[in-house]
Amino acid sequence: MRVLRVLVALSVLQLLGACAPLEPWVKPYEREHLADPIMALDRNPISSDYLDHVFGTREGAHGATGGAGGGCGCN
Amino acid sequence: MKLRIAGLAALLIALPVLANVDTNSVAPDFTLNAQGGKSVELTQFKGQVVMLNFWASWCGPCRQEMPLLDSIYKKYSKLGFTMIGVNVEPDSKAANDWLKQTPVSFPILYDTDSKVSKLYGVSGMPSTVIVDRKGTVRMIHHGYKPGDEEEYLSSIRSLMRE
Repeated sequence: MRVLRVLVALSVLQLLGACAPLEPWVKPYEREHLADPIMALDRNPISSDYLDHVFGTREGAHGATGGAGGGCGCN
Repeated sequence: MKLRIAGLAALLIALPVLANVDTNSVAPDFTLNAQGGKSVELTQFKGQVVMLNFWASWCGPCRQEMPLLDSIYKKYSKLGFTMIGVNVEPDSKAANDWLKQTPVSFPILYDTDSKVSKLYGVSGMPSTVIVDRKGTVRMIHHGYKPGDEEEYLSSIRSLMRE
């Protein structure tokens, strides 16, 4: 019983340790491949912003994509 | 028993804390190969104000500040100032190709296995570390946006007067 309790305590402690920075983490000086333009989620961020604005003003179900609100969405 | 578990918990929480370079700490020494295979050591610049710049050819702001750094170097190198560009790329080919188009006059060192970047805890690209004449870190700057060169300049000027 006691052993079990210690084991449970230890496993909980291990979970606490998971809040630590993970070791195989990409350091800023290792971002060679991540910095490649092909890794970008969006190839045309500015034109997507305009589209988001248009969608956001026309359709209630669209939104929370970072587009600015307000206006008629006509420009 | 309780004490032992508390001790374990303290250990688990303390483990991830890593030592990094701080201002007013001694700049860790390193040896790296420069262009042409010559090895360069940091301590050989003792007595001069040294600016370390961690850069990569894939990093836009780094490319942007390189010509500015070169003009700072050209202006102050005769007055006891050295600039060292530490290239962080594992493969230096892209860096060398870029340097052919945008040549700089200060020495470029190649940190191909990221040893020095790790040693200095580089937490942003580009990172700039300014070391005074005694070998103490005096300024750490992360990133670059237009106008930051004024910060470098004022720090360099005041350190050269010391």
